[in-house]
Amino acid sequence: MSKVTPNDVQAFLTDYVTGKLRSDGRVSVEQLPEDCDLLLSGMVDSIGFLDLVAALETFADREIDFEMLDPEEMTIVGPLCKFVAAQANGMS
Amino acid sequence: MAIGKALWEGFLRSAESFPDHPAVFAEGCTLSYRALHMQSTRIAATIQAHPEFSKVPLTAVFGYRSTAAFSGVLGALLSGNGYVPLNRTFPIERTEVMFERSEARSIIVDTGSLPQLSRLLERSKQELLVIMPDITTAHKFRENWPAHLFFGLEELSPSGAWKEPIAVPDGTAYLLFTSGSTGVPKGVMVSHKNVTSYIDYMVNRYNITDQDRLSQMFDLTFDLSAFDMFMAWERGAYICCPSQKALINPGKFVRDMNLTVWFSVPSTVAFMKRLGMLKPRQYESLRLSLFCGEPLPVSSAISWLEAAPNSVLENLYGPTELTISCTLYRWDPVQTLGEAEQDIVPIGYPHPGMNVLVTDQNLNEVEPGEEGELLMNGSQMFVGYWKDRDKTDAVFVIPPGRPDVFYRTGDRVRRPIGNRPLTHLGRIDFQIKVLGHRVELGEIEAVVRRITGLDGVIAVGWPITSSGANGIEVFIEGDVEHHDALREAIRAALPEYMVPKRFHCSKRLPRNVNNKFDRKAMVELLERGL
Repeated sequence: MSKVTPNDVQAFLTDYVTGKLRSDGRVSVEQLPEDCDLLLSGMVDSIGFLDLVAALETFADREIDFEMLDPEEMTIVGPLCKFVAAQANGMS
Repeated sequence: MAIGKALWEGFLRSAESFPDHPAVFAEGCTLSYRALHMQSTRIAATIQAHPEFSKVPLTAVFGYRSTAAFSGVLGALLSGNGYVPLNRTFPIERTEVMFERSEARSIIVDTGSLPQLSRLLERSKQELLVIMPDITTAHKFRENWPAHLFFGLEELSPSGAWKEPIAVPDGTAYLLFTSGSTGVPKGVMVSHKNVTSYIDYMVNRYNITDQDRLSQMFDLTFDLSAFDMFMAWERGAYICCPSQKALINPGKFVRDMNLTVWFSVPSTVAFMKRLGMLKPRQYESLRLSLFCGEPLPVSSAISWLEAAPNSVLENLYGPTELTISCTLYRWDPVQTLGEAEQDIVPIGYPHPGMNVLVTDQNLNEVEPGEEGELLMNGSQMFVGYWKDRDKTDAVFVIPPGRPDVFYRTGDRVRRPIGNRPLTHLGRIDFQIKVLGHRVELGEIEAVVRRITGLDGVIAVGWPITSSGANGIEVFIEGDVEHHDALREAIRAALPEYMVPKRFHCSKRLPRNVNNKFDRKAMVELLERGL
């Protein structure tokens, strides 16, 4: 399997969040900047975060262990994408 | 140590005995008992200096996970008023209704809630006393809102001006709004006597000391938050309130704060399990793990205890109307598996001073081993719904042949045989749990009916989980063209967990033989994928 990059994860994340916002009837986004905090921006709440995790696990094709990710970074696009990519590549 | 008749007394004793101990952690900083005492007595003295604002003896606390929120709760109590928690994460329309219905004329506001304050000020027909402990001076507010009275931190009365109020055990300690079936939240009045009798029992049962560090996972608008605050402050312990962000990784918070007592809804266990945060022996600092608010699955308890092996686990049960919790069950690795029903940990046995009756629909006691509605009374039974005699009368009943009044919980339980524990089997009415929150489906229906103008509206919990439901779906008899617009309108009136995920419109909704809407048939439609 080819290596998953943070950019791959970010592209997936953008599609996912865009789709979610549309299905909720909310204003969609074109891009998710790396410093965007999904929680504080209201794009996901703690309930929606679980759905997002499930989607990321499907994308990464493995269970993701979030235990080691700092909560300050868990919902910020850049660190989240790097972390998921590392997990997908079995490096974290 | 004797427990007084007012909820603030335990805090005052602790502030005297342990002035330099940490009392509360919030927003990344800690207030000692001395600092919390200083701030809360200054707030209280300011309220006392303006008695015209306490004709209705209630003060609203518009704060979220902040030190100002905690000092606000104490400040309200120390002034002699009860507190009414408001929550900025709720839709402002709901907050407006709660504040207006409470008739409180004093309000304590933290920085994060200030952007929503103007809505309350605009809507108020009466002058309000507004206390903002997070800002130095309130002169800008005075300029912009001359009809109201404002106080920033520097403008509060001195602590020395505060006078301890006369304890009124039957007075309201807090007024908490819960979901109401008519679309209007119900105000549950809980007295000082209700809470102090509860705390008296629980601090001794759990042997809380000044060395304990308790989690504070609940928002102030969830009555379980009162457990953390008043259990800790009764004994000089430390409550640790995670930020909204830290709630995403509760495990790290347990370790960082070295917590000894954990209290949450069971959904948090499922959440942590899902995110890989329940590994063996991760939370060895915990000596006590408590769960309440929804059914606790056996599998969740087992997973939790693997991660927190040094802790005693207890499952608590209790509606807001019976003050935080009124029954409990201690987990036993062997016995519980034989006593659990539907893989849910039993709710156990009533607290001292609380009485249980399991009845049929005519309020006659069922035989041991049979199912029925749980009725309870005793020292923790609430006073009634605020300014709502009809709703109060509907839940207070005198069962046939009984001399005393009981509260109808609406919960289905099995009457124990012999010394077995009570087991919880679900809700009798249409109150359900959505991700740990108590939701009255009727409230959602009322809002949808109001917005659409259509009468045939049925809300159901979907998808169904062992503890309730993960969300809400709404069936509508008639046509609604713009589902997104409808959802937005609902979002403005209800918290996010009550906002329906989908709407299903049809010319005629399923009905049963009595020509009543058939909820069960609607759930079956969802099971079949419509």
